[in-house]
Amino acid sequence: MIEIHELTKRYGDRIAVDNLSCTVRPGQVTGFLGPNGAGKSTTMRMIVGLDRPASGIATIAGRPYTRHAAPLRQAGALLEAKSFHKGRTAFHHLLALAQTHGIPPARVWDVLALAGLESVARRRAGGFSLGMAQRLGIAAALIGDPAVIILDEPVNGLDPDGVIWIRTLLKTLAAEGRTVLISSHLMSEMAVTADHLLIIGRGRLLADTPVQDLIARVGVNQVLVRSPQATDLAELLLERAATVTPVEPGLLRVRGASAESIGELAAEKGLVLYELAPQRASLEQAYLQLTRAAVEFGTDRGGSL
Amino acid sequence: MTGVTFGRVARSEWTKLRSLRSTWIILGCTAILTVAFSAAFGHGYGGQIRSGEVTPSLDKAIDVTFIGLDLSALIIGVFGILQMTGEHGSGLIRASLTAVARRWPLLLAKALVLAVVTAAVLGPTCLAAFGVCQAMIGDPGAGLGDPGALRAVAGATGYAVAMALFGLGLGAALRHTAVAITVFVAGLLILPAMLGPALPAELEHRVLPYVPIAAAQAVYAQVPDGSGPFSLLSPWSGLFVLLGWVIAVLAVGIVVLTRRDA
Repeated sequence: MIEIHELTKRYGDRIAVDNLSCTVRPGQVTGFLGPNGAGKSTTMRMIVGLDRPASGIATIAGRPYTRHAAPLRQAGALLEAKSFHKGRTAFHHLLALAQTHGIPPARVWDVLALAGLESVARRRAGGFSLGMAQRLGIAAALIGDPAVIILDEPVNGLDPDGVIWIRTLLKTLAAEGRTVLISSHLMSEMAVTADHLLIIGRGRLLADTPVQDLIARVGVNQVLVRSPQATDLAELLLERAATVTPVEPGLLRVRGASAESIGELAAEKGLVLYELAPQRASLEQAYLQLTRAAVEFGTDRGGSL
Repeated sequence: MTGVTFGRVARSEWTKLRSLRSTWIILGCTAILTVAFSAAFGHGYGGQIRSGEVTPSLDKAIDVTFIGLDLSALIIGVFGILQMTGEHGSGLIRASLTAVARRWPLLLAKALVLAVVTAAVLGPTCLAAFGVCQAMIGDPGAGLGDPGALRAVAGATGYAVAMALFGLGLGAALRHTAVAITVFVAGLLILPAMLGPALPAELEHRVLPYVPIAAAQAVYAQVPDGSGPFSLLSPWSGLFVLLGWVIAVLAVGIVVLTRRDA
């Protein structure tokens, strides 16, 4: 479990993380979501003690990461893909990390196999593609068999096979009861990978919610109905306690009634329908709605979503 | 039982050091260059003796061996710098500091491994350089049993180890390879040469013997008066001054490493 309490980080005048409090629970994949520059990476770096907060505290299993006797056992992190020396082989990179904790070399081979890097283990990591570098970073994060796994943009640079591999891996790790925190600026990625979402913008927490609840909360189901007899239909729907908003002549937006019940009602009363379209808010819309105000680099948004 | 201990971090640092090809290239080149230069200086000095230009002196024969040692020290210093800046430059530092979250053991373990490896390579190298140099001088050459000879070999090795650690500390304090090398070369080799003319004479005599390179020279040189404008410290004082410098720079490195965001 990761507990973040009133965490704040400043770079000069700029506030990167602003009084952030939240809890990341075990047994599920938690998505850390926000536009570029929202403070996701900075928060992750503070969790594993690479950055020092201006105020506040982040703990893993009740203690700051740096206070644990065997930190790699508590948490493994992938913060940037290329966190290795180009001249060292994948095996020696992982071995050096393992040796700090007295972890046996057999475990190095285990994580190399898990990451699909066995065949290139003796090759120098400088020649790795971005996808292989990412896999090496994930292998490094798992070396201590940690209870908490923190991955910053883990699907970056992975090919489609790799993306499916990481999704499966994350779900397996969560199912084993571990705490899994992954960041992304891609809502679509989170929709298929995460169970729970922490959404931040400008360093502040905007939402702490299960993925399903987010859809329900923002995506109030509504139905668009086009009919030449819209006025009559509207009256009938109002009698049945639905909310009806006229959009334009002959077009209604209906809440509180399903497309099926509206269709049946129209058939029963002999009304003509030209169009009957259920509107489901996508996660993308939900996310946009939440972050719109908080987007720091407005011009970046189109490209990153 | 797993947990981070200093011994484990040192073992990890040994793995890091030995698994880079560049480690063995740099150390190999340093060894070859050191012995080659000593051979050349020995040959030159032997020639001067044979032609009657100089009168043979055992002290001088020993000193001749290590005339070129500053070059070896420079390479070894850069080697030390790279141990730390290589981690910052590649991003490995993030992985290293999540493993060794308390940070200071990382630098001390690096220092230990670096000192042992440098001593293990430069010790035999300096011994070989001495042997080859004296052989080139010929009959008037010194033997290891001659007074001061062992001190010269051990002192030269110590100088190399000190420069490696000095570089490591600078690397930790400055983080960038180019910046650290610039400061190393300027501070260690160039500034002391400029201090002479810049300082008033009596201050010059008091300050210059304490700069790292002069302190190091005091440890391995036989003729303390030298030809320079100032007198060297005694070998033991030189050793302590050199040690002081190394500890000071490593301390700054530890402070920077533990205080700053990685």
